[in-house]
Amino acid sequence: MAGEIYNPNPTIFSPAQPAGRKSDFSGESLWIDEKVETHDDTDEVEPIDAEEIYGLIRTIYDPEHPNTLEELRIVSLPQINVNKNHVRIEFTPTIPHCGASTQLGLSIRVRLLRSLPARFKVDIYVKPGSHVSEHALNKQLNDKERVAAALENQALLSSVEQTLRAFSGRV
Amino acid sequence: MEATERLVRTWMASGRDEEVNDLVAAIESDQTTLLNLVKALGEYLTSEEDKDRTKGVELLSAVIKKCPAEKLNRQSVRVLTTFYCSKLDDIHTIIPALQGLHSLSGSPNFTSVEATTVVKGFFSHVTMKALTQSVRFVVYSTIDTIIANHREALKGLDTEFINGYLALADGEKDPRNLLVAFAIERVIILEFDISKHVESFYNITFAYFPITFRPPPNDPYGITSEDLREALRGCLTATPLFGIMAMDLFLEKLNAGSPAIKRDTLQTLAICFPVYGPATAHSFSRKLWNSLKLEIFQPVDAETQGEALKAFKVLIDTLYSEETVDIIDLTGLAKDACEECIQILKEPEKTQAKHAIKVLCTFVATTPSVAKYAISQTVPHLVQLFRSPDEVLTRPATVVLLAEVITASRDVSKLQNSDTDTLLGPFQDDILAVLAAGLKVSGSEKGALQGLLPLASAPSVLSDEEIGFVVHCITEFIQASVDSAVSSRDEALELLGTISGSNHQHVSSQTLPILFSSLPDHPPPRDDSASRQKYWLSLQSLKKLCRHSELFETLVIRLTTKLDLIWPTTFESETEPAAAYAHAILKTLGQTLSIKVEQRHPDVAKYVDRLLPRLFNLVLSTVLSTPDRRVDQRILDVTAQIITLVVQVLPPSRQQSYANNAFGALLTGNINQIANGHKIIPEGVKFHPLDKSASANQKDLILLFGAAVVPIEEEVSIPVPDLSQFLQSLVVWHYSHADEEAQKIAVEHMIASIVNKHVDQLQDFLTANLNAFWQQEIQDPSKTLSHRQRAIVTWSWISKALVVRSHPLANDFIDHLFDLFGEEGINWAAAKALGQIGSGDEVLTKKNHCIVKVLHAQRYVAKVLPRIIAGAKDANERTRQTAHLVALTSLIKSIPRAAYAQELPSLIPLLLRGLELPDPEIRVNVIGTFQAAAEGDPSEQSIVEEHALTLVSSMLKNCMVDQMPAMPVRIAALKYLGVLPSIVRYNILHPQKSHVVRELGKVLDDPKRVVRKEAVDARFTYSG
Repeated sequence: MAGEIYNPNPTIFSPAQPAGRKSDFSGESLWIDEKVETHDDTDEVEPIDAEEIYGLIRTIYDPEHPNTLEELRIVSLPQINVNKNHVRIEFTPTIPHCGASTQLGLSIRVRLLRSLPARFKVDIYVKPGSHVSEHALNKQLNDKERVAAALENQALLSSVEQTLRAFSGRV
Repeated sequence: MEATERLVRTWMASGRDEEVNDLVAAIESDQTTLLNLVKALGEYLTSEEDKDRTKGVELLSAVIKKCPAEKLNRQSVRVLTTFYCSKLDDIHTIIPALQGLHSLSGSPNFTSVEATTVVKGFFSHVTMKALTQSVRFVVYSTIDTIIANHREALKGLDTEFINGYLALADGEKDPRNLLVAFAIERVIILEFDISKHVESFYNITFAYFPITFRPPPNDPYGITSEDLREALRGCLTATPLFGIMAMDLFLEKLNAGSPAIKRDTLQTLAICFPVYGPATAHSFSRKLWNSLKLEIFQPVDAETQGEALKAFKVLIDTLYSEETVDIIDLTGLAKDACEECIQILKEPEKTQAKHAIKVLCTFVATTPSVAKYAISQTVPHLVQLFRSPDEVLTRPATVVLLAEVITASRDVSKLQNSDTDTLLGPFQDDILAVLAAGLKVSGSEKGALQGLLPLASAPSVLSDEEIGFVVHCITEFIQASVDSAVSSRDEALELLGTISGSNHQHVSSQTLPILFSSLPDHPPPRDDSASRQKYWLSLQSLKKLCRHSELFETLVIRLTTKLDLIWPTTFESETEPAAAYAHAILKTLGQTLSIKVEQRHPDVAKYVDRLLPRLFNLVLSTVLSTPDRRVDQRILDVTAQIITLVVQVLPPSRQQSYANNAFGALLTGNINQIANGHKIIPEGVKFHPLDKSASANQKDLILLFGAAVVPIEEEVSIPVPDLSQFLQSLVVWHYSHADEEAQKIAVEHMIASIVNKHVDQLQDFLTANLNAFWQQEIQDPSKTLSHRQRAIVTWSWISKALVVRSHPLANDFIDHLFDLFGEEGINWAAAKALGQIGSGDEVLTKKNHCIVKVLHAQRYVAKVLPRIIAGAKDANERTRQTAHLVALTSLIKSIPRAAYAQELPSLIPLLLRGLELPDPEIRVNVIGTFQAAAEGDPSEQSIVEEHALTLVSSMLKNCMVDQMPAMPVRIAALKYLGVLPSIVRYNILHPQKSHVVRELGKVLDDPKRVVRKEAVDARFTYSG
């Protein structure tokens, strides 16, 4: 990254709700320590939903700050739509002229490329009206060829890698 | 004399150490003298042959080095010194001469006269650049010794010495020499008058800053860059005269360096400021602040930011060390920086505000006047911000910032051991008001609790009244959060718990009544999940708060009363909500007790009279009413847990009387001694759970008696006429009368615990009775397989009771199990039992007063593991071999890794075969073992290297849902797959990379969420 920082002082939000499904006793079952595992042995299919996808991308780091996309409210749960084999994600850059947005979108793209089954088609859009070159950005992020070309660029790839790094926990 | 000459001649030819030793011995025993040696060496010392001269001086130095100090009198030291100095200008003799001088410099007879001669000799004849490292090291060491012993003499030389040394040390590069040189330089700078040479010293010390030396791998000298850094810092901080020159250099390094250099510079700055003094700090304060600001507000990483803050703290300390001005007059850097930060705090929700508050917290830790100023600026600002109606949205961020200031201020007071808080004192009311309001603002609860915690945990910061207010606010918050299930509830309870540790009145008078009253008197109906969650939350809160003995007493009284009220008469499906409610209450009691036992609270024991009879009363009131009313299994389990917890902590005498009562009830039906409470127990129904005609609901109660017997100590006698017979009757009951698995398990626990403690009284039972048991229940092929498998479990419990105390009889029991390995159908059960025997459990523990020998698991492993390995390798009989393999996987899972670590290389091929067994449990065990090895020492990690490819393909097979339906196996396989790249060399796995990534792509579509998550993690480690 060239030394320029697009937004030196972004707002940080505390995570709205604790992430993940509530495991505490919610009163739905009668007994407090009904074993959760019991219904794991069943063949019940748990489909991939918006929450799961949010879980995948919320821990991506912003390329400019030591904060996650969740903390900067760049992505949020309602901005993710899952429809059978189609995922649509909207993200909001912190400022309208943010030059790091392409990289950001690319990070999300790579993350999902690696973490979702191949049957999904993923569309990534900037939130309408949140970026000056919205149209160009959307085109860049959803064009297979362009994404592939961007990932050929070693420098770009390694900086994308950097933003995904903290996620896996074992670095 | 002749002998000396002979030795000298021999040495000149041989160069061996022996002659040197002989010479030294001769000098020691006065057979010869140094003078004789010099005479004998005469021709060599002055020889025209370069080689001979070198050797001559070398021998002399070698002898002097080993020569005892008392043989070197003043005269000889003087002569030798002069002699050596004269040899310094001869390139062929300089090396041994320097060594000789080094030995001499340590002699007590080496006077200051010689000291000056030697250093002068060095300065005029020694050219450091021409010498090798080891020789230069000798020079430095000699100067070091002289400077240590004859400092005054050297001071006499003044400029001559300083200039000479500067010339000598200039350009040194070897870290070994530098360590000595830095030590010498520190002494010179500290003790000598260097005012005219500051720049020269600056040049020979600061030239090395920052240290970038990295020790080569396997460095035999063991010098780290840290050693060098410390030594150099010793020089840099030796005089304030460096101040001005140094600051420029530091600033330059700080602005341009790598993160490591930045950190080094910041640390060095922090120790230099106090030495260089306020004047220097003052003239650079602006520049320093500008540089530090960059590191703080745009940090490279958190560590560097921390160092920058530390350096900044020292800077402020130094600047304001002498001032005790009133805060109104505070001027200079602190004021300006403070104002700058406050300016940033106007936008509390931004990233920069987090950094700014760190700076302000740093101020709090500096001098009292600065701290006071910072607090007087920050706290009112934040308070005002919080109150401003325009800033409603930023309230959560504001409260967090305020909490940080409070924590910083409390940390300072804690360091000063003061109970009162003079810093926050004037603003305490405002702070409390903001925090209390913060508790009610959505999003800022967490911050408010963070701020309250340091205030409330200090004993006397808040007055009793204020504590009451805080408790009131938190209670309100908890009450409100019952409805909304806010995540900060735990923190709030933690805080109340802290308060109740020192001051429980407020909690018991304000919080508890509200929590108790939120427990309904009637169980919520089946479809009312909200009320159910509510009572569970209240119970969880009570569990956290009621650990203090008085509060716990209240808890027991209130909850037992509640139990009496809601206890269902029957346990059918229509009363299930009541049963679940009762279970939740009992669970709360059990969990609280368990924490109290862990923390060794002395009041637990008294609940043998207050709680246990009440529980028995409840249970018996149901059981004895009609034979078909059975108490719910889950309720019995948690009741049993409570009984065990209380009996565990009883003193032996009390245990004895409780055991008497319990056995009285169990054997003769005398229940009055153990049950006492408000429920009416129907008269006339005989209680005899061990009788063969007993109803199922009576038999269930064996769980409770088992729980009472298990923790009874060895010295307490079991009140039965014949212990062997009693155990035998239990075994019979187990196989003929027990009709629930839980009953059988309870009996097994009871037997195991008694066997463990009273093995010596049980000869009959352990030999004759159990032999019969073996033949009739396990060996007899006419019994069903499941019956025989069940009997093996009983067998393994008894074996384990013996193994845990390393009793010799255990061997017999284990041998029997091996005998079954050849028999299809039960060999797997026997094999798994071997693993079960080695594993830890909740019954045979020290807490339950069992006799547990140290290293018993290791002994057991040493006994069975070799046998199992041999069996698993023996391919003669497939059935036996497989059974051994099963035993291996089951054993290895249950024992500590250290116990088998040495066998690991030979185990791996066997474990890989274990992965082929169809049993999912075995596969999980095996993968778990690999995982454990991966977390171990690097030497263990590399063991799998040669099997890496096999492992990869096997794990891939085990993580596909279509090939492995059992989810735990899939998860374990994925986890291990994710670990492999970190333990196996890159070149081995690299060819597999694309294959693994492709295959894992399929697993990403696993039907289970947990599996998908692991697949994502694993795939990430390969695709990165």
